[in-house]
Parts: sequence; C-alpha cells; structure tokens
Amino acid sequence: MNVDFDPSLEAFREEVCAFLDTAPTDAIREAGRKTTSVFAPFEATMEWHRLLYARGWAAPAWPVEYGGTGWSLEQRYIFSEEHWKRDLPPLLPNGLIMVGPLLMELGTPEQKRQHLPGILSGKDYWTQGYSEPSAGSDLAALSCSALADGDDYIINGQKTWTTLAHKANKMFMLVRTNRDGKKQQGITFLLLDRTDYPGMHIRPIIGLDGVAEQCEVFFDNVRVPQGGRVGAENEGWSVAKALLKHERGGAAHSPAIRRKLDAIRAAARDATASFGGPLSEDPVFQRDLGELEAEVASFEHVEKLVLSGHALADDPAMPSLNKVMSSELSQLLSIMMTRVAGIDALPLQLEALEVGSGVQPLGDPFSLVAMPYYLNTRAASIYAGSNEVQRDLISRNLQTLRA
Amino acid sequence: MNFEFSDEQVMLRDSLSRLLDQRYAFELRRRIMAGQAETGIWSELVDMGIVAMPLPEACGGLGGSASDIVAISELFGRHLVIEPLLPSVILTGRALARFDPAGPVPQWIADIGTGALRGAFAHEEGSGTGASSTLSTKLYEGEAGPRIRGSKKLVLGGGEAGVLLISALSETKAVCLAAVPADAEGIEVRRYRALDGRPVADILLHDVAVDRAAIMAGADAALEALLADARLALAAEAVGAMAVLMATTADFAGTREQFGRPIGSFQAIAHRLADMKIAYVKARASLLYIAALADSGRATSRDISVLKAQVGRLGREIAQGAVQIHGGIGMTDELPVGHYLKHILTIDGLFGNTDYHLREIGRVVAAA
Repeated sequence: MNVDFDPSLEAFREEVCAFLDTAPTDAIREAGRKTTSVFAPFEATMEWHRLLYARGWAAPAWPVEYGGTGWSLEQRYIFSEEHWKRDLPPLLPNGLIMVGPLLMELGTPEQKRQHLPGILSGKDYWTQGYSEPSAGSDLAALSCSALADGDDYIINGQKTWTTLAHKANKMFMLVRTNRDGKKQQGITFLLLDRTDYPGMHIRPIIGLDGVAEQCEVFFDNVRVPQGGRVGAENEGWSVAKALLKHERGGAAHSPAIRRKLDAIRAAARDATASFGGPLSEDPVFQRDLGELEAEVASFEHVEKLVLSGHALADDPAMPSLNKVMSSELSQLLSIMMTRVAGIDALPLQLEALEVGSGVQPLGDPFSLVAMPYYLNTRAASIYAGSNEVQRDLISRNLQTLRA
Repeated sequence: MNFEFSDEQVMLRDSLSRLLDQRYAFELRRRIMAGQAETGIWSELVDMGIVAMPLPEACGGLGGSASDIVAISELFGRHLVIEPLLPSVILTGRALARFDPAGPVPQWIADIGTGALRGAFAHEEGSGTGASSTLSTKLYEGEAGPRIRGSKKLVLGGGEAGVLLISALSETKAVCLAAVPADAEGIEVRRYRALDGRPVADILLHDVAVDRAAIMAGADAALEALLADARLALAAEAVGAMAVLMATTADFAGTREQFGRPIGSFQAIAHRLADMKIAYVKARASLLYIAALADSGRATSRDISVLKAQVGRLGREIAQGAVQIHGGIGMTDELPVGHYLKHILTIDGLFGNTDYHLREIGRVVAAA
C-alpha cells in the first residue's frame, strides 16, 4: 500500500500553485469567495475560464487531441485541491463536463468541429434542457415535441431548471419525436446553436437563495436545423444516459468539501458558543465537528481509492454512491456553516453577494455566504437524479450482484 | 497511490479464509465459545505464520506492517474469530518488543511468537476511552522493589494469559508499562465473556511485585502506538463483520417475500439497504486508507480516531439495519446477524467509543 501521490507530481503542484497564485483578477477572486452554488457567479467565472484556456488548463479532464490537458486522475486531483484552497470559482460544468465529453463520444465530426472549440475556450455557455414541469425524476415522461419538417425540427413545449439559460448562447436538450411505444423510445437529443431563435422565450426563476440561477424556456413553433441532432432520431435516451454518466461521475468532489470544512473551522475560532466561551471549545460543537471531519475524511478516502484504481472504482454503483455521499455531505456542511454563522446568517444581503457591487457585507465574508449556500445546496439532493433515484439504483445493483 | 493488498497479503488471506471457512463456521460457534478442545485453531495460526507475523523480525517475528494486521483482522471479523491474536501478539507482543531487551522480556516475546505463551494488555479502568489521562493504577517503589496497585477491567484474553502488560502511572505521574507473570502473587483474575463471546477478565493488582527489567518508564509513545494498533485491528474486524452483514442482508431482502414480492423491492427496504452500502463503502475506504497511512508511519491519532469512530457509527447503522430487515428471525441467537451486531457493539466500546473519538477529533480539529 502507498498513500502518496507520485512524488514526481510535486513539481506539477508547484507549477499549478504558481499560476493560481498570480493569474486570477480581483473580480475572479471575489467571485470565488462569493460562490454559493455549483454554478459560480457567471461573468467572472467565464473570465477565469478564458484565462485558464489561455494557459491550456481549461479542460483538465479532456484528452489532448481536443485541447485538453491530458492530465492523469492524480494531476486532476492536485489541480482541484489547489484551486479550491484558493477559493477560486469552479468553471461552469455544462460545457466542459457534460456536453463536451458527450460530443467527443457520440458527436459527428462536424458537430465536434463546430462546438468543441467554443466550449473549450469559454466563448460559449451551454444550458441543459432536460427537465419539464411534468418530467423531473421521471425524465422519460418528457413531452416537449420536435416535429421533422424538411431539414428542420419544429419545437413546441417547455423546459425547466435550465440553469443560467438567460446567460447561455447554446442549449442541448431532449425532445419528444415519437409518442408510440415505450416512453424512452421516442426521445431525441438536440443541440441548439443559438438561444434566441424566434419563438424561444426564456424566463429566469428566482431560487430560495434569492438568485436567478434557474430558468424556464418556452418553445412556440421554434424552427431549428436537424443537423443539431446527436445520435439517431428517437434514440436520444441512450445519448442522455451517456451524458448522465459524465454529469454524475468523474471529477473528485472532496477538495471542495474539504475546503468548506476548513472555512467552518476558521470561522468557529472567532464564534461564541450559546452558553458562553469560544465555540471551538464547546463540547457539543466539538462532537458535531468531529463527526463532520470523520465523514469528510471517509469521503476523501473513497475518492482517493477510486482515483488510485482500487477495485472500488469498478463498483457499477460508484457514480450513484458518490453523488449521494457528496451531495449529502455538502448539505451537512451547509447546515454547520449556518450554525457557526449564528444570527449573522439572517440578514438578507443579495447586493453584497453580487460580484463588483462594492456593497460591504454586514458580518464577515463567511456569514455572508453561509445561508445562501445552505439554501442553494438543498438542490444538491434533487438535481442530477434525485437521491431517492440514486438509492433505488444503488439498491438494485446490490440485488443484481446477489443474483 | 495504491490501496490494494499485496500479492503476499492476498495469498495469506486466501489460506486463512480457507481455514476459517472449514474450522470457524458459524455452526461451530457455540462449541468454539465453550472452548472445546477440538475446535481450537491456534496451532494452525501458528503454523501459518500468523501468530509470529505482527512481531518485529529482530524478535523472531515476520515484521508485520499495519496493513498486514488489517489484512488478517478483517477476516477475523468476517468469521467472528475470538482467538487471542489481538491481545497476545498485536498488543502485548508488539509492545514488549519496544522494551529494553532485559530480564524476562526477550523470552516472553519469543514464547508469544511461537504461540506457547499468551499475553494480555491490562489497560482499561472504567472510563472506556483508553486515554492515559484516566489511568489511576500506580507503579510505586516498595521496600523490596517496584510494585503495582490498581484494578483493570475488560482485559481481552486476561484469563488465559501467562503474562500481563499493565499500564500505570509512576509516583511522578509518568505513564509506564510494566509486564508481570499472570501467576504473580497479588494478582486476582475474574474471568467472564464480553458481549460478543470474547474471553475477557477483570484483574485486580494487589501490590504486585514487578521485575525492574520489565518496566518501561516514559511510555507515552509506546502506549500511543499500542492503542493505535488496538484500534486499527478492531476497526478491521468491524469492517469484516460489516461486509458479511451487508451481503447477507441484501441476499435476504432479495429472497424473503411478503405481500407477494421480495421485500427488497419495497422502496423503504431498498433505501435502507442503499444507506447500508454507503456506510460500508465509507468504512472500508477509511480502513484501507488509514492502513496505508499507518504503513508509511504517518497515521496520526486523529486518523485513528476517524477510523474508530466511523466503524463505530457506520457499523451500528449497518448492524441495526440488518436486524430490522431480517425482521423477527434477526432477533434470534440462531442467526449470525445478532452475533455480528454484538461483535460490532463490543468493538465500539473498546479503546474509546464513537462519542469519545468524535469529540476527540472535534477538539483537535477545532484547535488546529
């Protein structure tokens, strides 16, 4: 057994640190400190994306032939660790982690040529059109329709939870192209090369945290080219499943989670316990912090075993296991953040949260983000396949293994 | 990074598994616990090199590493093994190897390594934490040499041991370790069994004379290492037990029918099984990771506390889930499920339970 990264990677770590210490602008750093969601503040994060692209590091997980870094899993972990330690905003996942890898796997040469460069450089932002008002966990029940007409499709219907659609210039979506037979069989995967087609209407949705992160998108006879179809008509379900694999798995979450715990520890040193004395010396707090630390440590151990190629990595339930563990751990951390912030979590400070607003927060920076992060993170157990669905999958897998 | 057992460890585990499958089957457990002679496997463990394995090579052992101990102990947990490898060799033998090799010490180590002598680590006094700050047993200078006075509880293998390794405080309150023959004058042994069938004993030390050559003064580091070994080995046993509970409960849920279908098809059961799987994956990952850390000599007491706390709380989650999903039959002594539950509960209680280690982690982490 050997617990260390390959020692030759220390030079790599130094190279990463040198860049991360100097390259980000003030706005990018501010955006990192004000990140309260998987989706970091848009404009500054896209600026960071373009800086990383210029350095050749925008896509740690992409192969070199598509302009990625070609880094090993260990290198990616080290990069992620150092990135989070500096509170930098994580790049938005839709292009780099979801549709980009999907196109590499299933896109036509033309689609790759047309779309991958813009995803890589940060020129384009893609929103995801999957969910509908009546199709959430039961995604295959979707009904937004696309009718073939000449070289085009005509789309009618509605999509929802289209993250940052109001900022996006591209969209990937699932549409219904056939209503006969099993519901999974009449679905098609489409790329929209614009989000301002005539008949498209985007409405931002204010979330629990007071931020317009989600949107709904209405389609009224929207005519789009059939050239945007990925895979065959009516076979979009298997395309979507291939993408879910990218959405749920792959990247390590423990560096982000470890960083949250560090912030909690630091904040607790300045906080006072309900019955007096420093919070960090309160026995109840110590026990609860100990439990969080143990849980964070175990999750790190799981991810490190997986990235080392341990047999655990081959468990077919691992993407679901990781999703449940990381989302629920984020939620536990978010609860602890609001506990440590105490009443300083209660002021509603939407302006102070905006990057570049210049509005000073009422309390410390930790307290400013505690409640918005808590509220936003309620979604972690809902999106990307609710945790109830993940538990179904984990359990089904246990029973399959048994047979 | 590599968290797999080595080829040698895998081979050893394979042969140990075969032995335990044949000789330590659950059906034999009542006779094993009654100590019936034909059920013993101690001499086989000696022959396989497992008894000598944890001892340093300089003492005639095989220089077993932390992951060697984990590799063996995990299988002990799978098979509910109560042979005294932990108290005799992993604890007493390895600790004695840290003593100056003087007086009776080298012979004791050698005899522990051949399995001829059994040792026990008499440490617990009632706090349940293992912390040296709770010690009250005294090592003092009597008229004719050093003597030890105090009382110890729940000493694993304490009734069968030929030599006792005792933790105590000196007259200057320094942590010491002292080894004495178990038949020395003034030692009173009260034997009983722990919840999971392990033979244990309370040991009263009525001003027992100690050979000066068998005392380690300033033993803080040695005690810390002992406790780390104890917690790591017990955690491995717990994870082994959790694996069996996980697999048998998933099996049961897939075959047991109520309301005309397997109970595992009900979402309430399915989700509890999923939570058990999540708990198991976390516990086993922490076991392997911290074993690897210990192999490199870098496992801190906080790392060990994380492991001990996690197997305590996650083990309980799995074991209680296993009883619940088995329903009425899970409440019987005839099924292994309850035996594994009691194994896990016993392990949780030894050398600091979940609550102790969680608070200890939090105390250290909050101050860091």
